[in-house]
Amino acid sequence: MVLVAVATLVALAAAVVCGLVVGPTSIGTARIIGDVFSYVGLGHGTLTSTQSSIIWQIRAPRMVLGLLAGAMLAVAGGTYQGVFRNPLADPYLLGVAAGAGLGATIAIVDVGSGLTTPSWTPLLAFGGAIIAVIVTWAIGGRGLRSNTSTLILAGVAVAALFTSTQTFLQQQASTNSITRVYIWLLGSLASASWSSVTLVLPYVIACIVVCVAAGRALDVMSVGEDESRSLGLPVRRVRFIVIAASSLGTAAIVSAVGLIGFVGIIVPHIVRLLVGTSYRRILPISVVFGAAFLVFADTIARTVMAPSELPLGVVTAIVGAPVFVLILSLRRQMVT
Amino acid sequence: MIELHELSVRAGSTALISDVTLNVEAGTWCTIVGPNGAGKTTLVETIAGLRRPSHGSVSIGGEKVSSMRERERALRVALVTQHPIVPSGMSVRDYVALGRTAYHGLLRAPSVGDRQAVTDVLARLSLDEYANRDVVTLSGGERQRMVLARALAQATMVMVLDEPITGLDLRHQITMLELLQKEVHECGLTVIATLHDLTLAGQFADRLVLLDHGRLVLDGPSGEVVRSQALADCYGMNLRVIDVDGADVVIPVRH
Repeated sequence: MVLVAVATLVALAAAVVCGLVVGPTSIGTARIIGDVFSYVGLGHGTLTSTQSSIIWQIRAPRMVLGLLAGAMLAVAGGTYQGVFRNPLADPYLLGVAAGAGLGATIAIVDVGSGLTTPSWTPLLAFGGAIIAVIVTWAIGGRGLRSNTSTLILAGVAVAALFTSTQTFLQQQASTNSITRVYIWLLGSLASASWSSVTLVLPYVIACIVVCVAAGRALDVMSVGEDESRSLGLPVRRVRFIVIAASSLGTAAIVSAVGLIGFVGIIVPHIVRLLVGTSYRRILPISVVFGAAFLVFADTIARTVMAPSELPLGVVTAIVGAPVFVLILSLRRQMVT
Repeated sequence: MIELHELSVRAGSTALISDVTLNVEAGTWCTIVGPNGAGKTTLVETIAGLRRPSHGSVSIGGEKVSSMRERERALRVALVTQHPIVPSGMSVRDYVALGRTAYHGLLRAPSVGDRQAVTDVLARLSLDEYANRDVVTLSGGERQRMVLARALAQATMVMVLDEPITGLDLRHQITMLELLQKEVHECGLTVIATLHDLTLAGQFADRLVLLDHGRLVLDGPSGEVVRSQALADCYGMNLRVIDVDGADVVIPVRH
């Protein structure tokens, strides 16, 4: 466990360096470090103003947003898998993706709403995601005998409704709008800025803290709802709190970066293979691993085909799937 | 003392338990018997606070179970379900330690006292050699003993068990029930259990309660209930009771 924690922290540090150093414009690591020290009064920075802008106004906010997105999606996925006791659960299970997709489409496609400007996209995506989860909860999460299965089914129904509405709007749109919707749906950190970072930061930090703190409760929940209640767990309250935190954090991230798939489902599984099944270990390690993973994936996305970018969701799947298979086969070998 | 007062439980329009009044003395063992569908599981789930009465009440030590918070309830009554979920990847020690959740809460780590309580109960049930094993590697008998250990780690005055010996071979059935009996005699635990095996029910319980169609049919000392005509009527069987070295053995007789 300690080894894995150290290794993930090293990976995180490497991801931060990668996020700042790697890019089409070559700027040496030493000069970037020198620039960092110059801010605290130690020596003089040697970066030109253009280089400084590239590092601190383009790469740094993008890297920080990548860290936040990776951490949030991974911890939300792990939390969902725990609360639903379902290995296929991901942060989009209760309709966040479908709701955000519809919201973003309304903002991107001119549907006569008067909201077709880029600044409305994150706001409507966030609103759509939150509305979708609230509708899902209202249908499947209330009532004395409600259980996780009814909640999942409600999520499927709400996602189908929102997605079909979004598809309908897309069908009515111009080719240009369809392309923009499509790019949004695949997720990207390209539009990251310090303002988008500060906008999502409070939500993401608060939601990550709640999710990680719920680790012990999720371990108790692994024995099923009735038994965990008999062990003293207020199951419905815990379920509500962790679903609310995971969904809110995910909605905030999705509104800023679009739909980045695979991180939320695969990172917690990779971590589970490395540290065992306790959510007290899975969730904090997922935060760090998810953050590092997404920044690495984004570094690949923005450099492999520079100056154009690969969709981030595509890279996370292309990188994540082999990593997962590798760890799975290594673990099988260790067991046998 | 556990008191069930005019207890009724419904699921929609269906009555599962109707007007059951019953008092169980502290430090005694009461077993609920009755045919399938009699309402035994519903009754124990209601005593454990998992179901809310539609009428009447269940009280433990004078406090109503339905008005307790989960944590308060977990400090008073422990539950062993018929088919406990055993989460793969968890060690036996961690599983048993779940029984201490109500003591340390959800945000704090178990105290030294909690860890000692787990170690003690593992030793008491001869599970210490399995403490670090994955729960799914245990046999059925060991697994059931581990579930009992988790319930004992709760250190409650009352334990409710729903068919705790289902799927166990004869030796493990007896071992499990003897462990439980020891807790009743030595620690003053109050046990309410459901059992299908009438012979074992009669031999281990101080008292039997016969349920049928959600109603209490008979309540009395084990020897009397196993010999009653009401018991045979409820099962629709001819039952013969034979005394073997002072122990009642209930045998169904085919026509």
